[in-house]
Amino acid sequence: MNTRIIVKLDVKPPYVVKPVHFEGLRKMGIPSEMAKKYYDQGADEVMYVDIVSSLYQRDIIFEEIEKTANELFIPFGVGGAVRTVDDFSKLFHIGADKVAINTFAVQEEPDIINKAAQIFGNQAVVVNIEAKKWDNYWECYTDCGRIRSGKDVLEWAKEVEQRGAGEILLQSVDADGRNRGFDLELCKKVVELVDIPVVVSSGAGSLEDIKEVIEYAKPSGVAIASLLHYDKCTIKDIKEYLRKNNIEVSR
Amino acid sequence: MSNIIGIVNYGIAGNIHSIEKAIKAAGGQTLVINKPEQFNEVDKLVLPGVGSFKDAMQELENDNFLEPLRNNTKPILGICLGMQILSTVGFEYGTTQGLDFITAEVKPMQVDAKVPHVGFNTIDVVNNNEVLNDLEDEEFYFMHSYEVVNYTEIATLTNYANHKFVSSVKKGNIYGVQFHPEKSREAGIKLFKNFINLKGEK
Repeated sequence: MNTRIIVKLDVKPPYVVKPVHFEGLRKMGIPSEMAKKYYDQGADEVMYVDIVSSLYQRDIIFEEIEKTANELFIPFGVGGAVRTVDDFSKLFHIGADKVAINTFAVQEEPDIINKAAQIFGNQAVVVNIEAKKWDNYWECYTDCGRIRSGKDVLEWAKEVEQRGAGEILLQSVDADGRNRGFDLELCKKVVELVDIPVVVSSGAGSLEDIKEVIEYAKPSGVAIASLLHYDKCTIKDIKEYLRKNNIEVSR
Repeated sequence: MSNIIGIVNYGIAGNIHSIEKAIKAAGGQTLVINKPEQFNEVDKLVLPGVGSFKDAMQELENDNFLEPLRNNTKPILGICLGMQILSTVGFEYGTTQGLDFITAEVKPMQVDAKVPHVGFNTIDVVNNNEVLNDLEDEEFYFMHSYEVVNYTEIATLTNYANHKFVSSVKKGNIYGVQFHPEKSREAGIKLFKNFINLKGEK
């Protein structure tokens, strides 16, 4: 079974930025241009996350999302500041295949997951979980790793599955942007707990880190950002490396 | 001769945009069908997939699309749920009659793996299918929780976690693909090219 290699674009409109530990942003490029580059390299999917709009309570900026969608003939996920069924609908109409939700579902209305899944199908609804590690549990954070929710990650993961989410995008507040490897225990626990696909993100600093998390946690996909954005490697390099290590990936 | 591909627009969600874009990239001309009379203005039909089997049939009925579809003799390409509703009956959120172009049932995937089945996967050709010409060795993008169970009109099978399911069907000029050609890189565009280049007759 192929592990999906997904590119994550963290966007502070109009730029892709690279948050370090979810704080401190560095401009990396224009979303549509970067998406095209990764499409040409053989990415399996692109995930576009507006990382500031939720925090600043701004509306979704559709223009660049549509432009990015237009560059791609692979699945395109979009997240950030999604609050209503209408937001989902608009994003699908401009070319998103999946929509990721976090803050609004965690802090205000978990029921939006059920509603969206019923209307658009489970496969189109992704729940983005930002996990912060404490002594003996992980807590869900929102607004790009800034706001605590008091919710336990594992309980929430099970809940969103029951509510109809078709996929979990799992991020680690601690490991994100540090390039020191994934939070392996977190990834493994969530993958084993739910029956829906889990895409793990946050922490890939090397090809070995990617291999390690796939072998240890067996996620459905790995979302990669800095490693690619800093041109440390290409999607092709990642796939070749994984294949050499007997991990199945698409061509 | 005109060769306009009609994309049937039903339901509130839609990958219409992506399909339109891919058909255009394949050099085709498209018309999004919003009203029953527009079925007469096109030469071929694409039936996209949105939501659940039950909702899809309900939406087709609400839009008065069932009759033009049942009377249709033009080539049809059903994509994902659009392939599933070509079947006799579906079991997603209850039992729902489908379009019954293909004698088949649509059931939840029973596999020892994550569902939905998401990602690029290969196809094994069982019977020849013009829309898959020169695409036998390519990978296509799948995203589904249900599968078409059929024994007679199988064009290809796909293996997911040691479970073989029907990944495409063909009966006369009716074609269905469980995967998303509009999300399958150049291979998907090539599939649309094949569909565009099909001769119109039954």
